Amino acid sequence: MKKTLLVLILVAAVVVGMGHKAPVSKAQDEVTLTLGSWRVDDVEQIDALTAAFHEAYPNINVVFDPTNPPDYNATLQSQFETGNAPDLMYLRSFAVGRGLYDQGFISDISDVPGLTDAFTEGSLAAWSTEDGVHYGVPLMAVSHGIYYNVDLFNELGIEIPQTWEELLAAAQVLKDNGYDAFANASGEPWTIAEIVFMNLAPNFIGGYEGRMAYLNGERCFNDEHSVAAFQAMADLAPYVPEDNSALTYYDSQQIFLLGEAGMWMGGSWDIPFFESEEPDFDWSVFAVPAPAAQEEEYVTFHVDAAIGMNAATEHPDEARLFLQWMTTPEFAALFGNLLPGFFPLNVQAPTLDDPHADAFLKLNEGRGLDVRWAWEGLLDGEPTGYNLMQDNAIAVLNGEITPQEAADNLQNGLAEWFAPAQACGQ
Amino acid sequence: MAFIQKTLRKFGLLDDWQAPRRRAWLVFLIPGLIIYTLFMAYPLVNSMRLSFYTGTGLRPDHFVGLDNYKTLFGDTLWNERFTNALSNTFIFFGIHMAVQNSLGLLFATILSQKHLLGRNIYRTFIFIPATMSVLLTAFLWRLILNPRWGMLKALLERIGHEDWFKAWLGDTKYALIVVSLVSSWQWVGLPTMMFLAGFLRIPDELVEAARVDGANAFQIWLRIKLPLLKPIIGIVTILTFIGNFNAFDVVYAMMGANGPPQYSTDIMGTFFYRAAIAGEHPVARSDMGIGAAVATITFLILMVGVSSWLIFSRQQSEEAVLG
Repeated sequence: MKKTLLVLILVAAVVVGMGHKAPVSKAQDEVTLTLGSWRVDDVEQIDALTAAFHEAYPNINVVFDPTNPPDYNATLQSQFETGNAPDLMYLRSFAVGRGLYDQGFISDISDVPGLTDAFTEGSLAAWSTEDGVHYGVPLMAVSHGIYYNVDLFNELGIEIPQTWEELLAAAQVLKDNGYDAFANASGEPWTIAEIVFMNLAPNFIGGYEGRMAYLNGERCFNDEHSVAAFQAMADLAPYVPEDNSALTYYDSQQIFLLGEAGMWMGGSWDIPFFESEEPDFDWSVFAVPAPAAQEEEYVTFHVDAAIGMNAATEHPDEARLFLQWMTTPEFAALFGNLLPGFFPLNVQAPTLDDPHADAFLKLNEGRGLDVRWAWEGLLDGEPTGYNLMQDNAIAVLNGEITPQEAADNLQNGLAEWFAPAQACGQ
Repeated sequence: MAFIQKTLRKFGLLDDWQAPRRRAWLVFLIPGLIIYTLFMAYPLVNSMRLSFYTGTGLRPDHFVGLDNYKTLFGDTLWNERFTNALSNTFIFFGIHMAVQNSLGLLFATILSQKHLLGRNIYRTFIFIPATMSVLLTAFLWRLILNPRWGMLKALLERIGHEDWFKAWLGDTKYALIVVSLVSSWQWVGLPTMMFLAGFLRIPDELVEAARVDGANAFQIWLRIKLPLLKPIIGIVTILTFIGNFNAFDVVYAMMGANGPPQYSTDIMGTFFYRAAIAGEHPVARSDMGIGAAVATITFLILMVGVSSWLIFSRQQSEEAVLG
């Protein structure tokens, strides 16, 4: 009886409220949404983006409120626990974002109109459950490739390598002429993991399908493909700078920019840095080539961030409007041009004004795309696949272990906790 | 009102002043006690309490008993990192004692020579690094030691000994030593100043008496000055000990949060930072609970170290009094 009464009162209140609201002009019920993020560098660009949204939806303001990257996960978790989380927030791909969804902090947004038309299953997968629930609208990906010094390549008559063997031959030419072939260095270990090893790995393990074969236990992590990927690290060893173990990421960038090295295996996020640091320097990119015997080629096109919605937001309708806007080609074009090097994932890829960003995006044509090897599944236990790949790739690069030993270490390390690795090859 | 009167009377601050006056000091403790409890004791105890909890946010809320400690000591990977960080911290401390504090003693000895020309200039030079930001000195030394365009390599090439140069910062055998030396270089001014103050306080009569007895300069330094400096050496040691076990900035600024290469420069500070706050790149999975456990262990190590010094120095001074 009490319940019924309560429901009646609530219904009455809503009806009265609606009736009251109807004549009120839009400007009066202006809504402000906060957007949490770890991209503290992008304030200006995202502000421009949200301003464009505000123009389309004048009653909604979106305020960008980023947190220092190392603290982002813990801060966001605490905000959720204390009920202070932003309405919309950047979600990291796979494990970390999934943790938030599993705790019930972020909404199922599968029903946002246009979501499944605007993005491929592959892009959506990083923020989806096994049951097909989507909890994030894919925002951006970063691409990987090999930066090269155009003038130096012309001067030495080097063609853009079409196979892994040609790449090594080109590296030899550079070395013979007194240049470093690759500016990459291992002083900051993550660079070897993310922009060298995981950059080249898809070509050796066979992209998405190959990676899945590891994740479902068909392949062991020390099979021939994995050994081949580590062998590629050994192939590169003669062509990296001397004493690279004490050179930092910044050193590498400068070595390449100063023309002391012909190539740099790198990520698309450095486009703005290279352009602003050395505007007259003529560089471009090509994709890591596959071995000669292999037809398929792959690019590491890593889905990096999505935007999700707070399950407890006071303005779910407005937040959904923003997410819906994110699925439009207009958003993709705006985002891609505001942040060169960070690529929108919309299937209708925009044309990018920045020639370098455009060159990077063109690498995707005719090639299989996949995320970085260690991200899906392999970060969920200790030791992480990431650390194993990083440490062993560096050890191979420094000639401390053989590619076979590196692959064995990867397999044995993962077999400590990763079920498919424990039961693999059977 | 009655309550205040009662309290004041209790502490002997009302009525008859003479008798309970010995207890009046209690009241002067109250402000300090409140501030200390609120800002030191409570957070400290609370941090220890947190070490029995786990959780992914800034406030671990899931009680796990001693599990965090079991992980630190029992789990292969955690234990390997933890013992590695602990032993690295002891090496870090050892190098500070051997280099920073010994050099400090040497510099103070030289600076305390009354006839030394340009004493103030030297003193300033020795102290300047201590006034600089750690970020700055870390960057400076990374540049100097850079194997590509570093000053040291150029210098060694100039004198024809290029082979002496190694990429120390990228070598697991040397990286920690180099980082410790950089830190010692930066902070050598502090022990120097403290030792210098100690030397200058030694009465001239003692030195003159020793000289009359036929002691040479070295004997005076070893037998007269050094024993009188003992309390200050103790304080410097304990400050170095505390500073090194809480150190974080120099490794973070020079090498990064993971203590590369291969965790060879990982010390308690960076280990704590990863466990409690940042997690390991790229997963960034951190747990304040296990971080609190690391902090508690650090605190216990510091407490054992500091208390044993306190007991030792008290015995020493009692012996000195009793002759």
